[in-house]
Amino acid sequence: MTQAADDPVLLVHAYCDGELDPANALALERRMAEDPRLAAERDRILALKRALAKIKPAALPPAALRGRVERAVGMRRAAPRPTWGAVAASIALAAVVSSGATWSLLGPTQSALVSDEVLGSHISALIADRPYDVASSDQHTVKPWFNSHTIESPRVVDLKDDGFPLLGGRIDVIAKTPVPTLVYGYQKHRISVTETQGLGAPPAARETGGYHLIGWTDGGVSYWAVSDVGLGELQQFVKLFRAAPTSQ
Amino acid sequence: MSDERTRFANVVLPHLGDAYALARWIARNESDAEDIVQEACLRAFRGISGFGDVNARGWVLSIVRNTAYTWLKKHRDPKLVAVENVEDVADAATGWDQGPAAPDAGLIERADAARLEAAIGALPDEFRETLVLRELQGLDYRAIAEVTGVPIGTVMSRLARARRRLIALLREDDK
Repeated sequence: MTQAADDPVLLVHAYCDGELDPANALALERRMAEDPRLAAERDRILALKRALAKIKPAALPPAALRGRVERAVGMRRAAPRPTWGAVAASIALAAVVSSGATWSLLGPTQSALVSDEVLGSHISALIADRPYDVASSDQHTVKPWFNSHTIESPRVVDLKDDGFPLLGGRIDVIAKTPVPTLVYGYQKHRISVTETQGLGAPPAARETGGYHLIGWTDGGVSYWAVSDVGLGELQQFVKLFRAAPTSQ
Repeated sequence: MSDERTRFANVVLPHLGDAYALARWIARNESDAEDIVQEACLRAFRGISGFGDVNARGWVLSIVRNTAYTWLKKHRDPKLVAVENVEDVADAATGWDQGPAAPDAGLIERADAARLEAAIGALPDEFRETLVLRELQGLDYRAIAEVTGVPIGTVMSRLARARRRLIALLREDDK
């Protein structure tokens, strides 16, 4: 501090930052009045501060970040339902309910409950405006990302040439279990593919409120593909996904 | 919710925006910033019982800052992270000689936000974090000293040199 106190330039900065007590500020004002170099320094600093004030406050963190943090510390895992509850407030769900074909009417089987949660995760990820925790079109980036997040790494395939580019991946919590979900694009739509093990067999196909779900099981792993694309496109996607070679 | 989670929600979550902004300035990349904030929040959560109820924002920011540098060291090519030893650099902030081309205050003030952001991004880490904490996050010298773990005198000299460099960069742009 002694060094700083001896240095008039640092004191001018401190003055401009409002860090000087009145006595020191007054003394420095006298020095600046006598020394044009100090006064010029003050003018430059104040001009820079005014220019910097034009920088907009930093962008708010993406909505998904808060969810990630809450999941990381276990605030969400214990109660995945509220996520779904928040989604319930959305127009999307109002459409689902009013369609009269809600999955809950089909009986509270585990398959239907898991379908609900898979769909809920897909919708809430879209609402969050960031359908993935890791954004990458490179399967060699996405797969290791899952590996490093302590859950089973999903089967990742490259369908870019078929019009379904890989966009990224996220971790969903289904039946209180973190599971991997891949996100593919199709034109402006998103397709979520969630992998589960030991949560029961998925339904072959469901349609509700404008969303299609197609499920299948390969090698003991269940897949749930959800999207608002047309049924034909989703079927095409699933066909390609199942036929594509798995990346290593 | 458990006590720790309630405490975490009250102490850490309100500062998520500041945490993200700081991480973004340090990492200069949005997706890295998110990973850093998540990791910092986990650290904060684990250490929440040791937080003494004084200046939650400063506490959170210092965790974010330390996490960011550890994270960058781990995930980025060390050659890219290695910074010049700024304290030894000879462009002493206190030197008078700005040269005949020292831009006048009006020119500095007219710099637009995008140009300034690029110039801030080009500053060495120590200068950038000090400037961001002061000018964009509004911390006072004492708080900056606590977050960055250096004496106030160092904060003052870093800040002065950061501003000098910014002004010099704006001048180069203008040529």
